[in-house]
Amino acid sequence: MRMIEIVFHFLQHPRSGGMIYSLACLLLLTNAVSANAAPPDVEKSEKQFQSRIKQFITKYCLDCHTGEEAEAGLSLEKFKTRASILEQREAWEKIVKRIQIQSMPPKDAAALPTDKEREEALAWFDDTLYGIDCTGDVNPGRVTIRRLNRNEYNNTIRDLVGIDFQPANNFPSDDVGYGFDNIGDVLSLPPLLMEKYLDAAEQIAEKAIFANTPDSYPWTEIPDKNFEKQGAVNLGKRSASFHSRGTILGTIDLQQAGKYEFRITAGQTPAGTEPAKMEVKLDGKLLKTYDVKAGVDVPEKYTLAEAIALPKGKHVLAISFLNDFYDPKGPPKERDRNLYVYEVSYKGPLGQLPADLPASHNKIITCKPGSGRSIHYCAEKILKQFAEQAFRRPVEREEIKPIVELVEATVKSGRSFEQGIQVGLQAVLVSPHFLFRIEGIRNTPRAGSNNVQNMNQYEIAARLSYFLWSSMPDEKLFELAAQGRLDDPRTLQVQVKRMLEDPKSEAFVKNFAGQWLNLRNLEELTPDPKKFRGFSSQLKEDMRQETEEFFSYIMKEDRSVVEFINADYTFMNERLAKFYGNDQVKGETFQKVNLDKTKRAGLITQASILTLTSNPGRTSPVKRGKWIMENILGTPPPAPPPNVPELEAAAKAKPNATLREQLALHRNIPGCAACHDEMDPLGLGFENFDAIGRWRDKEGKHKIDSSGQLPSGQTFKSPVELIAILEQQKQGFCRSLTEKMLTYAIGRGVEFYDKCAIDEIAANFTAKGYRFSALVTEIVLSDPFLKRQRGSQND
Amino acid sequence: MTNLLKRRTFLKGIGTTMALPLLEIMQPHQSLFSAATVAGKPPVRTAFIFFPNGVIGPSWMPQTAGKDYQLPKSLKSLENVKSDINVISGLAQINARALGDGAGDHARCASVYLTSAHPTKTSGADIKAGVSVDQVAAQQVGHQTRLPSLELGMVRGRNAGQCDSGYSCAYSSNISWRTPSTPTAKEIVPKLAFERLFGGGAEKEKQRARHMKDRQSILDLVKHDADQLKKQLGKSDQRKIDEYFSSVREIELRIERSTHQEKIKPPEMKLPDGIPSELQEHIRLMYDLLVLAFQTDTTRIATFMVGNAGSNRTYPMVGVNSGHHELSHHQNDEKKMADIQKIDEYLTGQFAYFLDRLKSTPEGNGNLLDNSMICYGSAIGDGNRHTHHDLPIILAGKGGGTIKTGFHHQVKTETPLSNLFVSMLDRAGAPVTSFGDSTGRLTVIDA
Repeated sequence: MRMIEIVFHFLQHPRSGGMIYSLACLLLLTNAVSANAAPPDVEKSEKQFQSRIKQFITKYCLDCHTGEEAEAGLSLEKFKTRASILEQREAWEKIVKRIQIQSMPPKDAAALPTDKEREEALAWFDDTLYGIDCTGDVNPGRVTIRRLNRNEYNNTIRDLVGIDFQPANNFPSDDVGYGFDNIGDVLSLPPLLMEKYLDAAEQIAEKAIFANTPDSYPWTEIPDKNFEKQGAVNLGKRSASFHSRGTILGTIDLQQAGKYEFRITAGQTPAGTEPAKMEVKLDGKLLKTYDVKAGVDVPEKYTLAEAIALPKGKHVLAISFLNDFYDPKGPPKERDRNLYVYEVSYKGPLGQLPADLPASHNKIITCKPGSGRSIHYCAEKILKQFAEQAFRRPVEREEIKPIVELVEATVKSGRSFEQGIQVGLQAVLVSPHFLFRIEGIRNTPRAGSNNVQNMNQYEIAARLSYFLWSSMPDEKLFELAAQGRLDDPRTLQVQVKRMLEDPKSEAFVKNFAGQWLNLRNLEELTPDPKKFRGFSSQLKEDMRQETEEFFSYIMKEDRSVVEFINADYTFMNERLAKFYGNDQVKGETFQKVNLDKTKRAGLITQASILTLTSNPGRTSPVKRGKWIMENILGTPPPAPPPNVPELEAAAKAKPNATLREQLALHRNIPGCAACHDEMDPLGLGFENFDAIGRWRDKEGKHKIDSSGQLPSGQTFKSPVELIAILEQQKQGFCRSLTEKMLTYAIGRGVEFYDKCAIDEIAANFTAKGYRFSALVTEIVLSDPFLKRQRGSQND
Repeated sequence: MTNLLKRRTFLKGIGTTMALPLLEIMQPHQSLFSAATVAGKPPVRTAFIFFPNGVIGPSWMPQTAGKDYQLPKSLKSLENVKSDINVISGLAQINARALGDGAGDHARCASVYLTSAHPTKTSGADIKAGVSVDQVAAQQVGHQTRLPSLELGMVRGRNAGQCDSGYSCAYSSNISWRTPSTPTAKEIVPKLAFERLFGGGAEKEKQRARHMKDRQSILDLVKHDADQLKKQLGKSDQRKIDEYFSSVREIELRIERSTHQEKIKPPEMKLPDGIPSELQEHIRLMYDLLVLAFQTDTTRIATFMVGNAGSNRTYPMVGVNSGHHELSHHQNDEKKMADIQKIDEYLTGQFAYFLDRLKSTPEGNGNLLDNSMICYGSAIGDGNRHTHHDLPIILAGKGGGTIKTGFHHQVKTETPLSNLFVSMLDRAGAPVTSFGDSTGRLTVIDA
């Protein structure tokens, strides 16, 4: 089977390509695994290179691609052996694609290869670059340890501690590789991030655990409604103003007996010789009389020096202004001495745990020293439990010994046990075992092979949970890992189903769909406000949500993934419906809506995608075409040449050309034509949608022409007709979706040796009615997901 | 010899088990200028500012060379500081060219700008650029201030999809590289940048001081973990643990320094919570923070990305509602060129605001700008053609009296930008014999 041909069948003329395409699909569907050639005989292959391929390169490429001045900076004369080709595999993969689509050599080249020559060369490259035997042990790849990205960090903290407060929102952005932000190789850890990890760990520990020191009790303000007044006092919203002698009486109802502290925030307007005197009584008993010297603009906090032991129940705190003073002849701003009380608060019961402890406190502090339990014993018990969750695997006592000792030392230095545990928690939360998903340090080697290891049970649990939830494994997954059941296909299938149904799979929609479809990039787009009045960030948000709801529906209802291309429904709320010109939908909630089948279908005609593939001021057929080739057809066009000066000449030749005409002009240039012959008609086919996705029949005075012809010869007259053509290419789409989802699932780029796995996944899930869950399950069951290439210190 | 010693001091205390990768650029070299270390003299501050997509050359590059040149349209706003800056034309970043790697000029524009090294074309695996000039300086003089360096930006790295023709987005959204494989992440929220510089107010600082000791113990402990872990891992995994380790180490050093460094009183500054919605407010706040960072000597090395490479941002405040990148491929369309020129002029205006602020901040016998060297520019010259020569470069400030200013220098075409960096490193107190593809020093700026 020729990988190159499957990928590029669409670009072939029907005469030659159609047959290969059908054949390829047949193979794909019936017997994908065995459909691979035996490992290439290196010696024979080298001979072929020397006798034929080198000659092909010399004859058809070197004219332009030689030396310092080589076209596109690509000089090919240095490739003199088969091995030299393999050393630059990636470059050659791209070159071969160009030969395949006949953009190279360009049609105006002095010499063009015959069909036979081209096919012979392509066959050789296919064997050399992609020839891999899928029957034996195929390299399952090796994933670089992955640091938790921002989303994963937030979700993991939520599930680990039980507090959802998104500490990672202030972290620096995670760099993206292969289209996703969970790729181990590019997730770096600069000092700035380490600093944020330390800060976050501190915050998390403080929020999760009540430190149990006088400082850690929150102040509770006595609410306005609990106050009564006597005498010349105004009880306002912001403060109680004492214009003359008077008293305010605040009632508190204590749930627990114990020691309480009180604090009053007050200020005065000065007059006369002495400051305002504020008397504080509790249940009729004098506590203290303060001289309030602070000004009314800068009130001060007056805290009673000692905590007071109080029984449970109601108590009354009375605050009085004792020394009113008024002298109409005094200096203008010093005639009237008044007292202002802003806030009256209390805290306690000190030394006891408050009744409203955070749930995380009780979850984590499962042992308290005392009655025969030592600090060491309890710290170890607590931290072992916590670290096993945080490190997502069993933890030896020995491993956490330094942390336990740190807790002990902290407590011995005079701090509370809870404070000690806070420090211990921080140590766990900045440990590389928490911040990185580490694999391969405790594996059982697979029998019969020296190079391939099975993932261990806990690694599988974490791979599953970060794949589908962007978070740590839950209790069930830990339990199955402990029982050693996570390599059983049936168990995995059940788990995938359960996990997709869980609300946490929302993360998969946000993170996978958000990146696969580039939805996240909507945020940075600003369509020209002059041309697109009414476009708002709210509308942008709604557009994004439409596509997320759509993806979520296909996932949760386990629909065929082909509906991504051709669904006759979508999701809207009232605002978005209005934008689309639909007045049936009411309310804020998104609901399923049937589409006008003559205008829209599937993802491509959703406003999010149409806006994402436009420039701020106008549509970009090239961007749309490229998006379709990348995401729907699975045939991403090669990168454009490094500079395109030819375009200038083209533009100069016809300065007032329409977009369609301009595009046609550059397709006259052979170097451009090969890719744009396909990209442009695909994009122009959607010209009925403006740069923010609204339907239009005209642009200015010109009627929109969305008809076109693809290089295959297929023609269409409207967007939906084009979609019908695209739908026939669903195998390419499925393969592309498989590659993207696999990349996201394992956190590394797809390599040539993953071909076997991708073939198998695509064949198996398409045979199961293209069901979404089947795709996810097949990915989870694949070798790249369940195995890894054993590494060495020097790999 | 002094420099050898310096390196040793730098490595001192790094622990016996894991040494930082030895940088070739740390080769000893006799320092020509030691302004940064002479007692009593204000230190030299160094900043590198990056803008994307190149410029419209004719309205950016002065017509004539020498002292009596006219500031062209795009640089008009620099009139106030004309005598404090040099415009340097003719410089090139040759490693930003394809050199056989095909498309991706924008990704290379950012990643080569300060590294002068040709980046590996990859979407992820084996990511590699070079150590950037600011980090070379920070590694030498960073220990003298609370923060070794400060990295600011305006926009987060793109968080989905492709950035540029098969290059990982890391290449497009970072100009500062700590190691060839670790970009130094940038801060884009003004308030967070402020807290990083000065802590979060008196209350938070008090708390911080209390926690410092805990933090030290924790770092000590996890460093040991990392060390143990590293032994069990393969090479690419080890690299990640090395990153972790060196970040931990840097924070340790910072804590150590903070115990015997004078406390800086946080300046008064009102800052919004998130990212201001108005570009101008945002960009000026970032420049204000740079001024504060230098003024308080919290750091002496900084980078600032005014936009990520290939940015397609619109500039409605000057009437540009099409995307910057889209417009930069103007194909000599007059309207588009006019729009790009407006963006060039606008961005220069913001830079001028920064320089004016530095200049109006007195220090020693002069002002803060006198004691700074600010390199403002891009590693794409003409955005339309993605050229990497005739780069738009301004070097502002007198570098503590070591730089002669007020000139437009037309240097020999294809002179490596890295020659300027070598000259700047001399003055920053981090002299090197060579950097990237440098062929010597840029002596035209010497006072």
